[in-house]
Amino acid sequence: MLLEVRDLRIAYGDIEAVHGVSFSVEEGELVSIIGANGAGKSSILNAIMGLVPSRSGSIRFKTAEISRMAAHERARAGIRLVPERARVFPRLTVMENLRVGLYGIHDRSREEKQLEWLYSLFPILAERSGQNAATLSGGEQQQLAIARALISDPRLLLVDEVSMGLMPKLVEEVFTVLQELNRQKGLTILLVEQNALASLEISKRSYVLETGRIQFEGESRVLKDDPRIREAYLGL
Amino acid sequence: MQLFLEQMLNGIAIGAIYAMITLGLALVYGILRILHVAHAAVYTVGAYIGLAIFSATHSILLSAAGAMVFCAGLGFLIERFVYFPLLKYPPYVPLIGSIACLLAIEELCRLAAGPYILSFPAQLPFPSFTVGGIVISSTLTAVYCISAGVLALLWFITTRTELGLAMRATSQDMAIASSMGINSHRIISLTFMIGSAVAAIAGILVGIYYNQVYPSMGAVPAYKTLALIVVGGLGSVPGAVLASILLGVGETLLIGYAGIPLPRDALAFIAMIAVLLWRPQGLLGGRG
Repeated sequence: MLLEVRDLRIAYGDIEAVHGVSFSVEEGELVSIIGANGAGKSSILNAIMGLVPSRSGSIRFKTAEISRMAAHERARAGIRLVPERARVFPRLTVMENLRVGLYGIHDRSREEKQLEWLYSLFPILAERSGQNAATLSGGEQQQLAIARALISDPRLLLVDEVSMGLMPKLVEEVFTVLQELNRQKGLTILLVEQNALASLEISKRSYVLETGRIQFEGESRVLKDDPRIREAYLGL
Repeated sequence: MQLFLEQMLNGIAIGAIYAMITLGLALVYGILRILHVAHAAVYTVGAYIGLAIFSATHSILLSAAGAMVFCAGLGFLIERFVYFPLLKYPPYVPLIGSIACLLAIEELCRLAAGPYILSFPAQLPFPSFTVGGIVISSTLTAVYCISAGVLALLWFITTRTELGLAMRATSQDMAIASSMGINSHRIISLTFMIGSAVAAIAGILVGIYYNQVYPSMGAVPAYKTLALIVVGGLGSVPGAVLASILLGVGETLLIGYAGIPLPRDALAFIAMIAVLLWRPQGLLGGRG
């Protein structure tokens, strides 16, 4: 098991947002957590990354307990986040944003190879490489955020609401890229999404989160046909 | 004409010294959004430590090196023990902490060295020039060379090194920077150490330039540098440098040369009010 979360609780002040969730992600899997706005999906990803503290529970990554480690140590262990709303560094150029993703990794030849690969994956970034990230469109910023997370060759990619605010056509493109990364490069991905249909389509397994608790879990193709989920999340 | 040029040269030198104090403040504001008023106390301590080492060794190089190391340590401690524990409170709380720190350090200097104005009789190892009847003293040459060197080095660090990239990323989004593997707390400490070491150089240069070192020498820079980072654009280091040099020249020319009957130190605040009225983001400030 690459990532194993047990009984994770997250609170903001006195208000508990996540009430003890457990889930796991195996090496090479694409797993999604779906749920409505405010269900606690982003909190869970941020707790795995170390950006919000967990109140209790355990987070194991590659057999090591990481729930008390600082975010930068988790990043160095091989976890990378594509944050909600991209959060690119606005006053750094596209190229500099990508180089932040390589911070602490000193391997020139690999840097070149990774850049070449990412530019072929997202050609628009090559065109914009000298521009400040603030000048990019929403979709371009989202692509930059994905590239910034991929450039270090992570063991686990956390993807937070990548479809938010994107045109449907772009959502499809981004999801195709994620699916290909998983299938062709064997990249392990944990996706949290409001867009339940798209997530169920590309992921192997899914968890359905409701107000801080996991209500359903299982193979995505099974969940997709479950009448309760079809009604509540797919609008069918 | 000759007097004008001489005043101009002095003005640029004073501006360059302001810049070396102000940029520490701009760096800290950029990364922590704190008004680091106590920075002026670090500058005072730099002058005292520099003078003490110079009196003992008569080596200005040792004096500068010692003061830089000492002030870097002081800046580190202020961040670790004053600002870091206060960061979770609204911004006025660290500001009050900072003012307390400024006063406490100023009084410590008074206790340790006495309330007197001490002289700093160092000769800087720089040549003096006479160009077309205008004398450029060795102190002036030193201020130009040292400040240009310091600014060039800082420009190089922030724009051309991985450390600089990490500093800029941290100041734009600390959480995301740390999720990219950047130890943001270490970056903050380094930012304080760099800014404080530069303030030590400024303290020594001012001590030698005016031949004066005294406990409250940081009082006027403490609020003047605040005005300067507002004029330059909060958090913008190039803006802070530009505002500093303009102010140095402006003070010297308008008040020293043109004889406008205003207290010299008022000009920074007139500039600040003007900027707030007509260009609230500052000379080189971007959004927010």
